[in-house]
Order: sequence, then structure tokens, then C-alpha cells
Amino acid sequence: MQTETSGPQRTARVAALKGFGLGALAVGLIALVAVAAVRETAKPKQQEVATNSAFGHSERPAMTAAEEAYAHALWPVHAQVKLDAVKMTFAGLAYKMGDIKRAAVKDRVAPLTPRFDSALAEINKLQPPASMRDLHGEYVEAIKLYRDASAIMIRLAADGRDEHLIEAQERSEKASGLTLKVGDTLWPGEYKPN
Amino acid sequence: MKKSWGLKRAVVAVGVAAAATLAAPVAQAADVCSVWLVENSRFMNVPFGMFHPDRSFVQGSDNPRNNVNKVDLPVNVGVIKCGNELILYDNGWNQTDYHKMTGTGHWSPLSKQIAQLGFDAKDVKKVIVGHGHWDHAGSLDEFPNAILYIQKEELRGIEWALNYPHPRISAVNDSPGGCSRTPACGYPAKTVDSIYSKILRGKAVIVDGEMEVLPGVRIHPAFRAHTAGSQLLEVPTSIGKLVFGSDAYSSWEGIRDWEIANPQQTVTVQKFLAYEKCY
Repeated sequence: MQTETSGPQRTARVAALKGFGLGALAVGLIALVAVAAVRETAKPKQQEVATNSAFGHSERPAMTAAEEAYAHALWPVHAQVKLDAVKMTFAGLAYKMGDIKRAAVKDRVAPLTPRFDSALAEINKLQPPASMRDLHGEYVEAIKLYRDASAIMIRLAADGRDEHLIEAQERSEKASGLTLKVGDTLWPGEYKPN
Repeated sequence: MKKSWGLKRAVVAVGVAAAATLAAPVAQAADVCSVWLVENSRFMNVPFGMFHPDRSFVQGSDNPRNNVNKVDLPVNVGVIKCGNELILYDNGWNQTDYHKMTGTGHWSPLSKQIAQLGFDAKDVKKVIVGHGHWDHAGSLDEFPNAILYIQKEELRGIEWALNYPHPRISAVNDSPGGCSRTPACGYPAKTVDSIYSKILRGKAVIVDGEMEVLPGVRIHPAFRAHTAGSQLLEVPTSIGKLVFGSDAYSSWEGIRDWEIANPQQTVTVQKFLAYEKCY
């Protein structure tokens, strides 16, 4: 169906359409500017979230003063325990590599047992904040495992049976897993990329 | 195995460069192996100077040797298939809590990562560690059937440092978050226990220098470099010999100029004094 319009009517309609078009364009541009502005201001935050999400990081909450004091007090014990634990392992390694006799394993490991006992006594003096009681318990367990491992290991000197070394190693590895876990919480980044 | 830039290119370049220097004859005709490089994780924002001391960052410097502040370091593992033998060069690390607490990217268990290549961790026959640091020998427990290959010199080097009568040398870690460069501090008790476990259970070969583990697949000592007993692995492939290294170099310039990465052993008076002074 066709309709015919007169000249003035057509002019008025064209003018109305132009007005409508310009209005729509203006609204569109304003909307575009608004969207761009919102995106621009939100950009850094979005990027940060995406990065963290991609790497699976979780922000580490700040320690309380009591937690920091506990971590500070535990550090000297931890530093010595780590060194003694690795020395105990190396006594077994040196024996297996044929560098030392079984009597020497006892000579090296026996002095470590009272040192683990001392570490246990030291850590038992600490008062962990409520938030770190479980962690504290794990550390106590670790030192007991190390102590037991050292006591078992020196039995090698008497009968030369490797089973003692294996039994001791299982305890020691469990203990070292626990100390590593506690270390990650209390001293994040304790071990740097090497 | 950590390298900072153009990793695959660097590995190939190391291979080409090192292959040219490998004078030892191969005992038998070499099989051709397939190799993959798996990025086990990525350490983020690591100060570059930590790994390459003479490239320490200088604020405002436009010298290319001193204008790189931090780098992201991929922790790579070589996956090598020679016939029916599946071999790993290095095995990354395994520490979920560390992953949560530090700026580490996309770590997941290596056994899962190699499964994406269609390999089963139980089928890994050999794990050859470039050195015994926690981020290179930290996933041994995931490969129960694998034989570990580690240099005697590496074990002796750790033990020597542990028993040295000076805390700056013997320290496993001497301050919270502060120990990263002394000779003993890259070896947490857990990693050493895992290595010891393999040895105790008859699942390790303690290598003394050079060794051919399969026809054409050869371990080369790189002693007194990054660590006391580091080792490289030469692998024959369809594009020629590749040599896997483990923290052997930190950059292309390091390869070009034979500057080893971050040496962490103490065999000279100068190095001893440097440790004394710096840490």
C-alpha cells in the first residue's frame, strides 16, 4: 500500500525523523562514554582479580601481635631442629654411601636425641595463641617424631640391620613434612627459589 | 630447571652449544628420544640479581645488565621418552601450603601434569635430578617406581656444608625468609629425606661423574657450578642432541658468556668471604 504526502507534511516528518535520530545518537554516545568510563575505572581491579585467580593465590591474612610473637619465639628452635634433622639424615646417607661404619652412625646421631629433647622442652614453654594451637601441636608432634627417629636409628650400631634406618626415616620424613607445613604458615617464603 | 627468558629457545641453544663441546664417545648407537618441557610452576617477581649477581638491579639505570628488576621464573621439568623408557629430568616441587602463601603461579602435582601428556607417574623409570634443591628434587614421592640418579658430589657437598663450623655456611636456613644463597639452605629436611628414602630402599643410583643411562642418554657432571654436584643430561633427538640443565644459566647472555647461574657452593676463598660478607 502506498501513501502520498504533501510537501510541507513531508518536510515536517523529515525534520521529526532527523530530530529523533540525533537524539538517539546523543543518547547512544552518552551511554558509550558512560560504559567506557565505568570499564576504565574498574580495569585495574578486574586485572588484579584475574591474575590472582589464574595463579590460585590466596591472600595471606596479617598476623596478630600474639601470632607474631609466637612465630618469633619458635624460630630459634625451628632453626636448630632443621639443622639437626638434616644432620641425622646425612648420618644415614653417609653410611649408605659407604663413607662411615655403622658405629659412626651412632656417634653422629646419639648426640641429637638430647637436642631434640631440649627443643621439645623449649617449645613446651611457649604459649601459642588460640589460632595457632593446632600448628603448635603439629610442631610438638614433629619434634617427638625426630626424637624417636634418632633413638631408633642408633640401633643400627648393635645389629647392622637396615630396617632400623627405614623405620627411622619414615618418622623423620613425616616430621619434616610437618615442620615444612608449619614453616609455610609462620615464615612464608622460608625457602626461596633456588 | 629454571630459566628466565625464551625458555625453549634457551634449552635448544644450551643443547646446541653444549653438544658441540661433548667430546666423550657414545657407547652404542643412540636411540632417538622424544622430549617435552613441562612448566611445573612459576615463581613470580623474583629479584633478578638473586640469580645473576652481576646483573643486580640499579634504580634508573639504562644499562641492559642492570635495568631488569624482577623476573618470573618457570620451574620446568624435562619429560623424555626413549623407546619404552620414560625419564624425568628434575621433578619440581610439591608443597601446597607454599603455593598458597607465596607468589607462585599455577603449581599442580607433576604426576597430574604429565598425565596430560598421556603418561602415568607409575611408568616413570628414571628421575635424573640436575641437583638436589627442593624445587628440583621435591616430588620424588610421586614417582614410586622411578630410580633416582644423583651425583655423589652433590650429597658430599651438602654434607660438607652442613658440618662446616661456621653458621653462615652450615645454615639450613639462618633467618626467617632470609636464607636463599648459602650452600646448605636449598635443601630442606623434607627434600633430603625423600632423597634418602630412595637410597635406603634401593631406588637410587649414586652417580660418580659421567654415566650413560641408556644408549646415547648420558649424564654429564657440572660440578662446582650452581651446586657442588650439579649434573646435565644429554639426550639424542630427531633434531640433534639436546642437553638439559638445571639452573645452569639464568639468561641468554649467561649462555653466550658462559656465566653460570647463581653459584651456591663454596670452593674458593673469595666465595667463602663473599658469603661471610653478604649474609
